[in-house]
Amino acid sequence: MVASDAPHDDWLTWAFSPTISAILVTLVISLLLPVLIHAYLYRQATGSSSGKDLPTFLLLGPSGAGKTTLLTLFANGTPSPTHTSQTPSTALCHLPASTRSHADRYRSANDDTLSHASQPKLLITDTPGHGKLRHHALASLTTSSPNTPALKGLLFVVDSAAVSSPAGLTETAEYLHDILLLLQKRHTQSKTSKDPQAIPVLVAANKQDVFTSLPAALVGLKLEEEIAKVRLTRSKGLLDSGVGMEGDEGADDQERNWLGRFGAKEFAFAQMGEHGVEVTVIGGNAKGEGGEEKEEESGRVEEWWAWIGENL
Amino acid sequence: MLDAFEILTTSGIVLWRRSYAPVPSSVVNSLVGDVFIEDRRPKDAQGQQQTSYKKDKYTLKWTSAKDLGVVFVAVYQSLLHLSWVDNLLTAVKALFTKDYGIELKKAHVTKLNTQPFDATFDALVRKLDTGSTRRQSEADSEGPIELTPPSSAASASEEAVDEPPPPPIPAPQFKKPAVSRKEQFEGTSTDATPVPTPDTSRPSTPASHILTAKSGPGKASRRSRKAQHTLTSAPASSGDESSAGRNKKTATKAKRRWDADGFAVEGEDEVLDYSAAADSQQEQGEREVDVEDVNASQMGSRTGKGQFVLKDLDDEVDAILASSKQQVKPDSTEGDAGLLGSATSRLTGLFRNVVGGKTLTKQDLIQPLQQMQNHLLEKNVAREAAARLCASVEADLLNQRTANFTSIDSTIRESMSKALTRILTPTSSLDLLRDVTTTISPPNPRPYVISIVGVNGVGKSTNLSKIAYFLLQNQFRVLVVAGDTFRSGAVEQLRVHVRNLSELSRREDVGKIELFEKGYGKDAATVARDAVTYATNTAGTEGNGMLFDVVLIDTAGRRHNDTRLMSSLTKFGQLANPDKIFMVGEALVGTDSVAQARNFAKEFVDTKGKLRNNGVGMDGFIISKCDTVGDMVGTLVSMVHATGIPVVFLGVGQHYGDLRGLNVGWAVDKLMK
Repeated sequence: MVASDAPHDDWLTWAFSPTISAILVTLVISLLLPVLIHAYLYRQATGSSSGKDLPTFLLLGPSGAGKTTLLTLFANGTPSPTHTSQTPSTALCHLPASTRSHADRYRSANDDTLSHASQPKLLITDTPGHGKLRHHALASLTTSSPNTPALKGLLFVVDSAAVSSPAGLTETAEYLHDILLLLQKRHTQSKTSKDPQAIPVLVAANKQDVFTSLPAALVGLKLEEEIAKVRLTRSKGLLDSGVGMEGDEGADDQERNWLGRFGAKEFAFAQMGEHGVEVTVIGGNAKGEGGEEKEEESGRVEEWWAWIGENL
Repeated sequence: MLDAFEILTTSGIVLWRRSYAPVPSSVVNSLVGDVFIEDRRPKDAQGQQQTSYKKDKYTLKWTSAKDLGVVFVAVYQSLLHLSWVDNLLTAVKALFTKDYGIELKKAHVTKLNTQPFDATFDALVRKLDTGSTRRQSEADSEGPIELTPPSSAASASEEAVDEPPPPPIPAPQFKKPAVSRKEQFEGTSTDATPVPTPDTSRPSTPASHILTAKSGPGKASRRSRKAQHTLTSAPASSGDESSAGRNKKTATKAKRRWDADGFAVEGEDEVLDYSAAADSQQEQGEREVDVEDVNASQMGSRTGKGQFVLKDLDDEVDAILASSKQQVKPDSTEGDAGLLGSATSRLTGLFRNVVGGKTLTKQDLIQPLQQMQNHLLEKNVAREAAARLCASVEADLLNQRTANFTSIDSTIRESMSKALTRILTPTSSLDLLRDVTTTISPPNPRPYVISIVGVNGVGKSTNLSKIAYFLLQNQFRVLVVAGDTFRSGAVEQLRVHVRNLSELSRREDVGKIELFEKGYGKDAATVARDAVTYATNTAGTEGNGMLFDVVLIDTAGRRHNDTRLMSSLTKFGQLANPDKIFMVGEALVGTDSVAQARNFAKEFVDTKGKLRNNGVGMDGFIISKCDTVGDMVGTLVSMVHATGIPVVFLGVGQHYGDLRGLNVGWAVDKLMK
């Protein structure tokens, strides 16, 4: 008992004795500890979520529009072959050297200080487009938007060739309608007087290289027409289960579920402006003109990059 | 011969691919869509889920590394019967996860440099591809062997042939049903795989030159073999397939055992293993000569160096395959670890359960999953559906880590909500009004035909009149057809509904409604066809030249297990050719809902014998009497689970207006409450 306690006592005695070394050690500890704790907490707060603070863009769109291909193109510079996605994925991208971000817009094109490394980084999140898996996209839109201001914009990818068929057009328009309605609700139902940060939408008319594709402007027009129809039948359709069954609200949310200006017959993307949603339609193609043989060749996406740069 | 082999992530990016023949991308896409997303997996005779998927002329086999989110898919022509593909998948999975596992776990990976894997894969194929030509000659000589008493002997000999350098492999595990196989692999993925060979032996870039250089003649010889095969194989291979099917059956039968809870135990078959191992060794002894023969001819064309590289890989692959086979054994002995050890592990387990960050094992999941299943059963979900949901949750969570400060229970709840959302969300949403409008509008207008089927007394006529009311509100002209020519009072009942509805619509000045009836005793299908003709009639030319926009056909209720009555539905479906067929199901019904949904769905075949609506049969369910069950809306899940047909409407009350669309979030909330 005594034997085992002896070294222990020695150590304690030394710690409380008024020797120089003990005082120095105590001083070092008392000075370093707050610094270390601060460093640790700071790291916790910023370090782990440093990825989240990067500006984020969300890729949306029906299945087969080319979202994942676009993601790989943005991330690697060359598109990879892809199949139907089952899970969302995120990639870290650099703005290409040829594109200026919004902050750098007044810099000269010949400014040498803008090297590739200094170009801003951004995150692009790809979501599955399959009908059963769209809740991923909707969830990341609804949950992330209030607390993380990082979501800078949505890229709604559209297969320009598929919109020429009625079925493809309807599917695309319904999805776009849902997304825009969600953004509108986010704006109208915000509790604070300050508007939530605006999220612009880019309708990326993909696959412009395909022979049967429609030009971007026409894609936009067709989608507007179709959304008007979707909006009309949605407003006339049945209520969802749960609504009105518990006996609350009911008729008064008709206006809330109407996309764009209430009562307007035609729908135009410009109507979304009053809800802080700016919709742009730009054409491009993620894959090269070569078709199947030259899968590695990258397509024409500079304008989309430019849009991203503007909204950074 | 293999047509293509692809390694893709769950996010859809192809990490590596090799194609020997052009395979359309849609083949793999439909595998992902049907099997992984919609969970519509073909089942074999025993009701076990298969690990192969057939699309067009291709057969696809796959395996996945869940923790990395990588799927390995092999595509080959259905005509061929390639049993070595399973081995190839196992080996590729182990090697790929070993090489690229760490890179894949990093965040934001969208591309890997998988060039070096080409060589590994080539070598693997060369090693494992025993061709399909040789198989059939073996199959011929297998006749007498199959008669030997141990049921697994036949498959043992088959597999022995497939694997030239013989590690004594307990044979029946090859022929295991899909589920148990997968479970084994889950354990072996990435780091858990004990691979004895050091990393250096793997062929790296310099060696790959040799391999690719040599691959020329190798390929050619394979091609020639294939040519030879296609010349001679057609009848033989089909016979071979059937014999393989037979083997499979006997093997699985012999191995299933039942534990106290009534679940099949498929892991503990060591007794069988030993006998089979002995058998297979004997067999291998007999076959050794033959095997060496063929191998020698293959290797003759190789340089010494190439052979050396291959040799190392061989050992590694053998180790992988053997270890994947032996995974079963440690499982059974795991129970009797030291008392102290189990106590401490239990304590840390409890702690981790609170704090989170626990890696979930099968044992952890059994108990809470059982609770979850009971919970679902209480919500009136059919046992079959509940079991499958729990199985999918288990597959989702096995070997995953729980998030910080999340207990197992809440992790399971979250995963179950996701599974329920996925099962209830329709692939494409139904917008009835839009459909009607497009059908009756100019290019080629015709009336939109909806028919309603179901078991007796579930509320077909009531829901039909609710739909009629909804359509009337939207200014459509509706013709109600009394297709129930069987039950007395059915026509009168509809007449009352129509009278009420026409009075309502007159007051509100919307739409118009009429009853079409031919009395009792007539053939329902003919009545329906006449009604459609009548509605199309252009005599009363107002609007778009049709009398009516929508035709709603009521049908007689029938018991779903009465084949005589059910078969008349087929004729009805073909003659009336409705745009939409809805089946009404009660929310009150329990387990029977699964059988009801299945039996009704399979009756609706078109003239070519194919199920309508892309092989699903019907277009949607209307679940009636939802107001009477409170939270117990499990019928929704059971019926959708059984058929993959979405729920479109819910009946929530007695009034004409009490019809609702399905809100998936609401239903999931109710089920999880």
